[in-house]
Amino acid sequence: MEGNRHNILDSTAQKNCPGFKTLPQILAANSSEYGDKKTAVRDKAFGIWQKYTWADYYRYMEKTAAGFTALGLKRGDTLCMIVENHPEWLFSASAAHALGAMTLNLFTSSIAEELNTSISRIDSPIVIVQDQEQTDKLLEIKEKLPFIKKVVYIDPTGMTSYESDPWLISYAQLLETGEKYLEGNNNFVEDEINKGRPDDIAVMIQTSGTTGIPKLAMLSHRNLLSIAMQWTQANDIKPGENWISISPPAWIVDQMWCFGVALQSAMTINFPETAETVLEDFRDIGPSLIITSSRFWEDMASSIRVKISDAGWLKRNLFYVGESVGKEIVEKTSKKQNIPLKLKILYKLMSKLVYRPLLDRMGCSHFRSAFTGGHPISPDVIHFFRAVGLNLKQCYGLTEAGGIFQLQPDNEVKLETVGKPLPSTEVQIAEDQEVLVKSEAVFSGYYKDYETTQNAFIDGWLKTGDAGYIDADGHLLIIGRKEDIIRNKSGEAFSPDFIETRLKFSPYIKEAVIFGENRPFISAMINIDLGNVGNWAEERMIPYTTYMDLSQQPAVEELILQEVQKVNEQLPDLMKVKVFILLYKLLDADEEELTRTGKVRRRFVYGLYIKIIEAMYRNEKSVNVLGKVRYRDGRIGEIETTVKINRVE
Amino acid sequence: MKAFRGRLSIVNDRQEEDKKAELTIKDLRLSFGGVIAVKDVDLNVHTGELMSIIGPNGAGKTSLLNCITGFYHPQKGRIIFNGRDITNLHTHELVSVGIGRTFQNIELFPGMTVLANMTLARHIHCHYSFFNSCLFSPSVKKEEIRHRQVLEEIIDFLEMQPIRKKAVGSLPYGMMKRVELGRALALEPRLLILDEPFAGMNLEEKEDMVRFLLELNQTWGLTMILVEHDMSIVMSISKRIMVLNFGEKLGEGTPEEISNHPEVIKAYLGDVDTL
Repeated sequence: MEGNRHNILDSTAQKNCPGFKTLPQILAANSSEYGDKKTAVRDKAFGIWQKYTWADYYRYMEKTAAGFTALGLKRGDTLCMIVENHPEWLFSASAAHALGAMTLNLFTSSIAEELNTSISRIDSPIVIVQDQEQTDKLLEIKEKLPFIKKVVYIDPTGMTSYESDPWLISYAQLLETGEKYLEGNNNFVEDEINKGRPDDIAVMIQTSGTTGIPKLAMLSHRNLLSIAMQWTQANDIKPGENWISISPPAWIVDQMWCFGVALQSAMTINFPETAETVLEDFRDIGPSLIITSSRFWEDMASSIRVKISDAGWLKRNLFYVGESVGKEIVEKTSKKQNIPLKLKILYKLMSKLVYRPLLDRMGCSHFRSAFTGGHPISPDVIHFFRAVGLNLKQCYGLTEAGGIFQLQPDNEVKLETVGKPLPSTEVQIAEDQEVLVKSEAVFSGYYKDYETTQNAFIDGWLKTGDAGYIDADGHLLIIGRKEDIIRNKSGEAFSPDFIETRLKFSPYIKEAVIFGENRPFISAMINIDLGNVGNWAEERMIPYTTYMDLSQQPAVEELILQEVQKVNEQLPDLMKVKVFILLYKLLDADEEELTRTGKVRRRFVYGLYIKIIEAMYRNEKSVNVLGKVRYRDGRIGEIETTVKINRVE
Repeated sequence: MKAFRGRLSIVNDRQEEDKKAELTIKDLRLSFGGVIAVKDVDLNVHTGELMSIIGPNGAGKTSLLNCITGFYHPQKGRIIFNGRDITNLHTHELVSVGIGRTFQNIELFPGMTVLANMTLARHIHCHYSFFNSCLFSPSVKKEEIRHRQVLEEIIDFLEMQPIRKKAVGSLPYGMMKRVELGRALALEPRLLILDEPFAGMNLEEKEDMVRFLLELNQTWGLTMILVEHDMSIVMSISKRIMVLNFGEKLGEGTPEEISNHPEVIKAYLGDVDTL
């Protein structure tokens, strides 16, 4: 950047006061501070990582913003984006923010009607789309969107026949338009940036409502910079560290990170070539921080396992030895036991032979911290990665709170918790066990929905809608959605889903149903997994005939008992499973025990198996049942059997 | 960052002169012993056209293509490409004339990567000497970078980024077909000949391929001859169609003309009277 055009924003001290800044002001400050010296963005295209410095970033933003103005985007408007993770997304969003406009990212997988609903709500004058596919969707609903002045498409592939349509313009043309607009209007964007106020809304994020149309949560510049500051401080993020943008732009995670944290801390944002090349590109970059869904780690763990099973004898066995050593260390550390010298030496050795090469191969060797959020992660997977020395931790957040605000500190990783709040975030538990959060990052409200906004807060605290509690170490533990919570006889809340999910992480448990409403303790009805338990039995020469036979084998009961005990170890006392039965048949959607999507219909199952459930609470050893089974051809047969009741010590 | 560059350089750098592809086939006859595979066929393909050749099995479609691409040499007749008689040229000579092709049965090197397979096709565009290449002089380096750029643009266009470095033998069938198209494009041909590019593909793969072919024809301005059995595809994307039966030309015209052509209906559906 030439001259001292941003000198009022230069000092780092000012940068650390988010209250006085907007996102584009920080971008301008970064651009003048780092200029062409530091890389802001990398994008893999045509097989090469193409880099953009902070000065490039600012220039592209400037041209894009001028282009938007020429096309008619004004302060207070909303720019709608249906794009993938590429620099154009970043430049367009910053450009809109610079002009005082808001951005709304929509999923590229949305169908035309969904897009219509979302875009109609915000009367977006300009929509940015990724490619021909998205353009086609908009052309389909063009009649319903009279307020759209222009649709900007990013990828020109396949667009030749569209070039004559005056409604459409390519991103390259947009930049040209912007350049022309800037001629003789040099300071236009800078002036616009200076007009910005911290409490202006920067982004809107669509959150899935359980009823009706999705809500639009609004985050201001102040909100995003607050969460950015907190992350930068909590993790001591340095300029130039690598982030890889892989979650959809419509989600909170990459918006909070790319618009907020990366800007604040001057990290480098890396965009993979395509969604399919993520793992490869990941290795090229070796990011130092990541937040992904548990699914990502589960996929990575299984791909490692598949490759190891194909590896040669030496490699394979080294890996198994390494894994078991790692697991022992992780277990001992988590229980705060002393580690014997022999194990320490072995761990050092394995680290050289197995862990480092493996992590390097997967592109994970540069991680300081890796976070998993959303759905609970399987203990096997987290143990696996921690055993090989990857600092995988759990986190928690929600869109309305400005993103992820709860993370596990180093060396305090506990399977069941989501750790501690960020430095300037306060978390407390309401009387009904709802998790409440308060910080500057908490959102500014729902778009045009005063009532829902009012209901989202209680005495200035944001209601997360999740129930949880804080354990002895100050870690937050999320039980589940508040509406799914059940209370036991003494009125304490627990979430059946929380326990069921963890039971189902066992390969031997196919389905689990938890009972305990108004009961003194928790009971479980378990379906074994016929394939895995069958194989297990065959390996041990245990003969069986049918599912019913297998499920009532004493050895199988012992196996499941151990699995339940393992799960109990991670559960707080009041949620421990005290008694369980192995059901003689699989729960089936044909018999209305499951929904068609495979969810257990809890009330229905409760009524159907009330005799067994009552027996579990009566301290009996076994119960005789006469059950009905519907065969595939529609006939109904009767089963008379004895179900053993297993108690867990 | 595709958007900033606008169109691919491989498309933009192509002059009108490089696109010229006028093919004339006169009175072509090919026979194997007593069997006449191609019988006195005439055909004209003009620059920018997408011409399809259809016909029942054994109609002589592939034989005709093999004559054009120098695998077979006809007993009679002439093949003229851009004013030059290419009837008796060999395959490697035809490539430098500007004719590229894909095969009905995939003809790739299964043990080599996608990139390596495609790189081979750049051979005809290499201008440096053996000596210079040993030294890897700056001019060689510059040229190699240009080759890689062309290949990467093709990879990008055909959406093959995830398989760039995979061995061809490990790919699914539909992908191999795509790689073969990629290799043919790496030749930067004027005329592209495609022998059953849709065979053995599932619906999604076919849709992708149609998308690529249309884009190649419309945006790249590539002249194409397509041999294909899938009538719905042929009818929807071809500009003109020629029908062969037992080596003879039954008819030629636009898709509408062909679908109403009595001889063609007879050859494909049987005699109307016998129905």
